Amino acid sequence: MRTSRTLGLFMIAPASIMIFLFFLMPVVLTAIFAMTNMSTATGISGGAWQVTQAAVNRLKTDLPELADGIAEPRFIIDEEGLKELETLKLKPGFAAELRAEHMGEVYPSRREAERVIKALKDRPSTREVKQISDLFNRSVLNTRFETRDELMANLKKLGFDLTPQQQDIVARATYTGWIWTTDNFRIISSSPDMAQIFFNTAFYVSVTLLLFNVGYALFLALTTHYMQASTASVFRAIWLLPRITPVVIYVLLWKWLTWDSGFISTFMSQFGYPPKNYLLDTAYNAWFFVILINGFIGASMGMLVFSSAIKAIPQTQFHASEVDGASRLQQIRYIILPQLRWPILFVTCYQTLSLLASFNEILLSTRGGPGKATEVWSLAAFHTALNNYTGNLEYGLGAAMALVLVVVGIILSLIYLRIFRYDTLISKPLIED
Amino acid sequence: MTVLPILKSAALAAVLLASTAVFASAKDVTISVWSGGSGPNDNYRTDAFDIAADILEREAAIRGEQLNIIVQKTPYSGWEDFKQALTLAAEAKKAPNIVATGHEDIGPWAQAGLIVPVENYIDLDSWPIGDIYPNLMEITSFNGAVYGIPQDAESRPMFFWKPYMKAIGYTDSDIEALPGKIEKGEYTLKNVLEDARKMQDKGLVQAGYGFYPRNSNGPDYWQFYTSFGGVMEEEGKLVFDKAAMKRTYQYFADLVKAGVTKKNHIGMPGDQWWKEVATGKAGIWHGGTWHYARLVNQEGLKDFFANVQFTLIPAGEGGKANTLTHPLAYLLMAGHTEEETQIAADLIKIASEPRINALHAIKSAHLGISPSETKVDLYAGNRWASEATERLLPHANAMPNNAEFGKYWTIMWKNLEATWTGAKTADAAVNDAETELKSTLGNSIIIR
Repeated sequence: MRTSRTLGLFMIAPASIMIFLFFLMPVVLTAIFAMTNMSTATGISGGAWQVTQAAVNRLKTDLPELADGIAEPRFIIDEEGLKELETLKLKPGFAAELRAEHMGEVYPSRREAERVIKALKDRPSTREVKQISDLFNRSVLNTRFETRDELMANLKKLGFDLTPQQQDIVARATYTGWIWTTDNFRIISSSPDMAQIFFNTAFYVSVTLLLFNVGYALFLALTTHYMQASTASVFRAIWLLPRITPVVIYVLLWKWLTWDSGFISTFMSQFGYPPKNYLLDTAYNAWFFVILINGFIGASMGMLVFSSAIKAIPQTQFHASEVDGASRLQQIRYIILPQLRWPILFVTCYQTLSLLASFNEILLSTRGGPGKATEVWSLAAFHTALNNYTGNLEYGLGAAMALVLVVVGIILSLIYLRIFRYDTLISKPLIED
Repeated sequence: MTVLPILKSAALAAVLLASTAVFASAKDVTISVWSGGSGPNDNYRTDAFDIAADILEREAAIRGEQLNIIVQKTPYSGWEDFKQALTLAAEAKKAPNIVATGHEDIGPWAQAGLIVPVENYIDLDSWPIGDIYPNLMEITSFNGAVYGIPQDAESRPMFFWKPYMKAIGYTDSDIEALPGKIEKGEYTLKNVLEDARKMQDKGLVQAGYGFYPRNSNGPDYWQFYTSFGGVMEEEGKLVFDKAAMKRTYQYFADLVKAGVTKKNHIGMPGDQWWKEVATGKAGIWHGGTWHYARLVNQEGLKDFFANVQFTLIPAGEGGKANTLTHPLAYLLMAGHTEEETQIAADLIKIASEPRINALHAIKSAHLGISPSETKVDLYAGNRWASEATERLLPHANAMPNNAEFGKYWTIMWKNLEATWTGAKTADAAVNDAETELKSTLGNSIIIR
């Protein structure tokens, strides 16, 4: 008994690891990213402390004295720097010549200090020039400190003894990495563009779902049910084509149909209409085609599920109803639909989630355009976090958007389960008890 | 007993492999170079390193060192995928050694520590770096350090299809004088709209083809903001000039309203756009100096100068005629050994020599990076390069190097697109942009 239990755990281990790694971890990581302001500029792995011009600007309100004191670069050839230079074990001539010729000189920029160092008779290499000039840097401006303590120690050296509170202010203003924040959710809830994208998504999912993934799929399943078997399979095969065609080629076919020089334009030009891009002409056009492109793919799955569910209904019920004089509409209403409740719940639920998360057809066809008319939530999250022209990848905001999608998906699933009364669907049938 | 021979040959193979690895590590250095936005005319952005590597190897051989540089070149034709790939590769510590990208990436990448300043490896006063135009070097500086060596320069002119200009009443000498009039502000963006309208009314071009802007987001649109009096940055702080931005947004809404620009213009297929401007389907359009190369080499526009006039972007209300230069720069990526990065820096230095850089400038119709480059025969003998340098480059602005500029740009563009397509009015778009700029950039942007 014990061994078989261990064996069971052992057998299921690979699956659990997979679920943990590829299902649970992404959600957890998304949630963690969502609580940060990570972007291209902050990096992912952490940051440094750097007194940049922007940081000085930020400090001007809270610590004006400090901000003024550290706003200028300063390089001084002094004894302290020369001592450090001697310990570096570069050529001894460097320190000697600097001491003899340049002692006490002050330079207002790194470039000027380095010009002097470069001109030393022993000709330091570019890397040595940097090494040497660093030793005489008597300012913190633009120096990148790897730790906070290093920055504070250097500020102290410059005569700025800061209280812990002041140190916090300075650290916050100069930190280049990401920080924990809930700003992403504030941006999502307050931005009018986000509201527009949310509305787009709701429109896209509900219309595609209602008209095609469930509605049209049901229509196909019902009509093919009443056809001869061979004709029915031809029709089903045709409607499977969009799904089995690689999506890039499938969308390309739609583009050929709708481009300025595409089929529709060529056809309409026969009637004197100037050629235009039917796909991107207006927001209505774009939505029309986006929904068709997705709907034609989505309809096939519902069709298969519903057809097989109808096939599973005992033929005797149809025969009996025909004896009673039931019309086809009555058969559909009283025999088929009640028994399709479970498949319809499944398809609705499954397709809602996949429509919410899918954006590849839209990306390939309209890229969310014209304007941002067909930008849906998942596409916007992709554009925000991973792919946009300016290369400003906002991982944190994008993750927060993805998290919203996860939450919406869970809520919708729960609502569906209530509407379709899942509890009665899974209760044991009374007859076979 | 067949196992033994197999084992034997496997062992032999392993020994052979190991020995090559040992020899190889003694002198082989792999330097990887990526470049963004590089089409078929831009191959010298990466190919220059083949030449540079050859020279550096020969120099090493003369010094008695053995150096074998393997250059791995990865040019990307677009920008989105390039920036995504590069950023993620760098975060995963798999960055290339050298990257050629737009200078505006220096801000965020430097802040994130993805790039290291080139001035740590290259003496900026030495030839040929010291010879590069100082304003270009400024464009590749950030936080007081020079992060990149300018790879090319360019500027973005307005183009006019000469035959149509003549058809609406301009004489040859009028067209010749147009660049000067635009520079002085006598011919403005308002005239562009009017002339585009005239071309359409005369049936020279179809509706929506009078003024035919770039078909996608690009630095180009900041030129119009400048034309209408906008400023992008002041003393390290981004600037959002509401009135100028509103005039910019309104201009594009007006173009659509007048029917001279298509409402759904943005997002149209790029190939179609190129074919149309090369064959005279469009009346007035704007682009970059490098368009010359593509129009002539790929799109079959045989006699460019007989058909096309080019000028600065005309002034609008409250601003002046201008153009924008968007230099690409060679940057050194972090995460490599000092030795590799030094070799990469040496290669950049050689690739920036006038004769090698001129290969790129002329083949891709970009502009040179240094005065001595204009004296290379290939460059000096090229009509486009010399005329464009003279007419445009003195008036060129650049986008600021600011870690937050990308966010500003995204918001600016999103709302321009919304006004263009009629989804928002110019007023609403400017207000939305202001709200979002305040919430995302806070104190780092001046709104006025």
